[in-house]
Amino acid sequence: MYKRNMYKAAALTLVGIMTLSFWGCGSGSTSDSSTEIVTDPAERGTVTVTLGRQTTANPKFPSGDSYEDNAYIRMTEEKLNIDIQDEFEAESGDDYNRQVSLALSAGSLPSMMKVASKDELTELYENELIADLTDVYDQYASDYIKGIYDSFDGRALANVTYDGKIMAIPATASDAGTSMCWVRSDWVESLGLTVDEDGDRCLTMDEVKDLARAFIDGNPEQADHPVGIAFNANLTSSSSDGTNTINAIAYALGAYPKLWYKDEAGNLTYGSVTPEMKEALSVIKSWYDEGVVDNQLGTRTWDDITSLLTNGQCGIIFGSWHIPDWLLNNVYTLNNKAVFTPYAVVSEEGKVNCTHANATGEFIVVSADFDHPEIAIQILNLFYDDMVNDSALLEEYPDVASYLNEGVDGTARPFNIEVKSNTYLLDEYACLKAALAGEGTKEEIPTAEERSNYDSIKAYQEGSGDVTGWCKIHSRTKGVDLLAYLTENDLYNWITPVYPETTDTMNTSWANLQTLEEENFIKIVTGAIDLDEGFDSFVSGWKAQGGETITGEIEAQLEQ
Amino acid sequence: MKTKTLKPINNTGSQSRFFHLFVVPGMIFLLIFNYLPMFGLVMAFQDFVPAKGFFGSKFVGLKHFQYMLQLPDIGRVIRNTLIIAVGKIFFGMILAIAFAILLNEIRMKFLKSTVQTIVYLPHFLSWVVLAAVAVNLFNLDGSVNQILASIGIGKINFLGSNQVFRKLIIGTDVWKEFGYNSVVYLAAITGIDPSLHEAAAIDGASWWKRIWHITIPGMLPIIMLMTAMNLTSVLSAGFDQVYNLYSPIVYESGDVLDTYVYRIGLVGRQYSFGAAVGLARSAVATLMMVTANHLTDRLTGQRIY
Amino acid sequence: MIDNKGTSARIRNAIIHLIVIILGLICLLPLINIVAISFSGSAAVTANKVGLLPVDFTTLAYSRIVSDSQFWRSFGISVIRVVLTLALNLVLVIPMSYAMTRKTSEFRFRNVYMNLLIFAMLFNGGMIPTYIVVKNLGLLNTIWALILPGAVPIFSVILMMNFFKGIPRALEEAAIVDGANPLQVLLHVMVPCAKPSIATISLFSVVGSWNDFFSGLIYMQKVKDYPIMTYIQSLSIDLQELVNNAASSSALENISELSNRNLNAAKIVVAVIPLLLIYPFLQKYLISGMTMGAVKE
Repeated sequence: MYKRNMYKAAALTLVGIMTLSFWGCGSGSTSDSSTEIVTDPAERGTVTVTLGRQTTANPKFPSGDSYEDNAYIRMTEEKLNIDIQDEFEAESGDDYNRQVSLALSAGSLPSMMKVASKDELTELYENELIADLTDVYDQYASDYIKGIYDSFDGRALANVTYDGKIMAIPATASDAGTSMCWVRSDWVESLGLTVDEDGDRCLTMDEVKDLARAFIDGNPEQADHPVGIAFNANLTSSSSDGTNTINAIAYALGAYPKLWYKDEAGNLTYGSVTPEMKEALSVIKSWYDEGVVDNQLGTRTWDDITSLLTNGQCGIIFGSWHIPDWLLNNVYTLNNKAVFTPYAVVSEEGKVNCTHANATGEFIVVSADFDHPEIAIQILNLFYDDMVNDSALLEEYPDVASYLNEGVDGTARPFNIEVKSNTYLLDEYACLKAALAGEGTKEEIPTAEERSNYDSIKAYQEGSGDVTGWCKIHSRTKGVDLLAYLTENDLYNWITPVYPETTDTMNTSWANLQTLEEENFIKIVTGAIDLDEGFDSFVSGWKAQGGETITGEIEAQLEQ
Repeated sequence: MKTKTLKPINNTGSQSRFFHLFVVPGMIFLLIFNYLPMFGLVMAFQDFVPAKGFFGSKFVGLKHFQYMLQLPDIGRVIRNTLIIAVGKIFFGMILAIAFAILLNEIRMKFLKSTVQTIVYLPHFLSWVVLAAVAVNLFNLDGSVNQILASIGIGKINFLGSNQVFRKLIIGTDVWKEFGYNSVVYLAAITGIDPSLHEAAAIDGASWWKRIWHITIPGMLPIIMLMTAMNLTSVLSAGFDQVYNLYSPIVYESGDVLDTYVYRIGLVGRQYSFGAAVGLARSAVATLMMVTANHLTDRLTGQRIY
Repeated sequence: MIDNKGTSARIRNAIIHLIVIILGLICLLPLINIVAISFSGSAAVTANKVGLLPVDFTTLAYSRIVSDSQFWRSFGISVIRVVLTLALNLVLVIPMSYAMTRKTSEFRFRNVYMNLLIFAMLFNGGMIPTYIVVKNLGLLNTIWALILPGAVPIFSVILMMNFFKGIPRALEEAAIVDGANPLQVLLHVMVPCAKPSIATISLFSVVGSWNDFFSGLIYMQKVKDYPIMTYIQSLSIDLQELVNNAASSSALENISELSNRNLNAAKIVVAVIPLLLIYPFLQKYLISGMTMGAVKE
């Protein structure tokens, strides 16, 4: 009997283990909502917060620090009286998606995690796995944070609002601005040319062409093979400010390559297959035929183009406001007489067409089972308000300050997202400008980065000749200044593209379609294929090879 | 049972307790880690929502299986799987058999054992390692393409072209396994009675003739056995290999059942659909295994299990 | 076997030697290439200039590995995993396969167990349900998640069983007559006889668990817990990027990643060394295992 009982007991235990291990205690985590939840960090006990972290291969931690234990995490734990534990850490892409999926399959989300796509967010919402943050956002988010999101005209929060409820903390991406035409103004001077006669800091396409022609003819540095304008083999970019691209010309003609948007008739359009794009290509093609555009177009690498500039062969480059910091600096290093001035390229209507960046593509969600959703908002305040605006905080946590100086990767923060106002660049610049003009003080400049820019510029103006000063003068007082000018004088014509979720067909065909597009564009411009035939066959090929299907898929997304 | 008094000399009862004891520990592991998860296959018949669990999720019958049959992806994936698997089996066997025959002709002991040592080695290396080796060799600027370019063939985008990706997968797998696979064939050749060869040689049969009429027929039972055993792997085209070498550009030609189930069912979070595809795959594989077992039993008198 | 003299035979022989040597080289050269890369300067590697000999010879990559704590952590995890898996496999597989050699008259449930084994070999619940079980048992992020799900390699059970069947019955019966119980028979008669095949299944176990990367990918939620092959796998450069290798702004970022290729190659070489160390045994026993599984005498 005894033995038999023992067998029975053993068998029962096994069954018990098995049941538990499979069906688990899935519902055990539901909280007891009858007790009042204390939200003030100082008054409640330490709350354990588990995170799903998106990491990077080389975060540059000081030795001894890790994702789970670093200056940011220690500061957060202390300030908010919480204990942060990583539920999973994975690099972005498949690795991260797999971790999220596995956690989800077992019905256990970490308290908070990053979500890298809108469709995933939608799915989490539909499965009721994430917490409604509407109340905690209203109640806890600081005015500064709210101001940041409001600066996107509702686009940022609309992205995370489902049935009127805020379901996630959105990351922000500010507008990049126009792709500027950077011109060697020291050449303009030495050749006795006049650029921008009316002084509106804008050029028409013809003015750009004439200037390039004048640079080739004048050849101020007696280069062997002067080049008017050079472009990357990838002629276009999905980012409005694309460097070494023809974006500025295309935009001026109303073509928005590599972007999806609703045309005037309300139809979803892909910018690269429009008649406007064809026109843009025809303009570049005629410039190429006339010799204004680099005759080695398509074979030059990025570095080759940079050396055209540094060798004094070329004096015009299209690019973002920040290229003086990392590209034009090479020109100055070799030739400290070089001076650039940026101009915007305008459409026939005299406006600068520009596209809004995707305001939010990344989100932080809070598990529906987590009792303290307000902590997510408190972390948001701590990192994106206090750390920016409260200098006492960095004095209190010198470790964090040194992280900022040493460039430890942003993934080290509990939330690997950026939350900045859409106009942060212009706002910060306004303070810098005021300080430089003596109308404000250095202390009034809000960020450490901009304060150090102030120092560099001051030093350069006092004759240091330092490359950093030259860079910051160009990128800030010329580049950003132009962006501010365009905004203040209402010269922008903004287009709001549709930023679709990755569709099934995109997964399989997008890379091919991109290759098709890039190859055909370069062939058209260099005359390897005929403009009309080539473009039309590209468009029909693009549609047949998945473009049409993708358009339909995105339309379906929009209808949801 | 207790009425049976006629027993063998030793006490079967107490012995069989030992045997139970031998088997049960392992069985417990199998129950927990193999059998228990099988209940999870229930999700193939549900719209499985993790938060609701297996009891709360709605049953939808064969919906996912029907969906599977309608999906163009599935046809593509099955075709890729079959082409890759059959290609690997076919070319792998041919090369292994040929290599065994050739190696058997080598008389220099040192050369023979050196070559054996080298060709068996890749079999023991992980695809993680070999994929890195292959990527180094076959990327657009890799050594293979440099050679191709220098002899005027021009570069081939092995890893990114739907025309060549399957060939690359089959080729690298044959490369990895042919040496190791040749072992059985080599053993079979050594088992052939040398007097047959001697007699044939005296009759003036050429080398080719002897290979064709003596060696290959002598290997035939093994060849048939191996073919039958390989049949069971027709639905697994090698997850480790494909996973470490493919990219979205070559899904069209390189996506196989295992990678598809991983991507859709796990990364893509379509748990139920992934489970349905996995279940269908297991069912067919089981059928194949049973068939192969009968086949080998009939053909060679041996069973796989 | 037969000495076939004459020129045609000599030519044939020469061609056969040549083909065999070429096949050997084809197997060897790619492996030499990765070793050469690991000893080359990163500029040469990025420019794809490395063939069979190192270019700008340097051991920098190896000295960087020495101080790479994550590499050694993963290496250590794999070593522990291999040892524990091996021990568990042997303890479970040997008795089980011995019991499976019994006839149903001696061990009434033999066929029931056998069918359970076969079914478990053919069928599985899939990744997600297995993951849920492992998670609910609290094994996630522990080394046991890498060991326990593979505690009973069924193929090895069948292999062992077939081998035990080949041991003359008389040896066993002699021991039984002396009053030995099945455990004693197993330990004192069968195991000593079965040493070669135990070596074979041991090596299967070692190679399998050293080379496996997928369980690490599924059951380990942080890189710091990855076993070596999962770690190596996570280093591999994004193929998508490489395939689309067109010059673009992201190329800048790529270059820094690509120049790590010699470091990654060195990591791969070091990760393979343990297998090379036991390779002489592998060659001896796994090959006999291969023939044993298929051609049973």
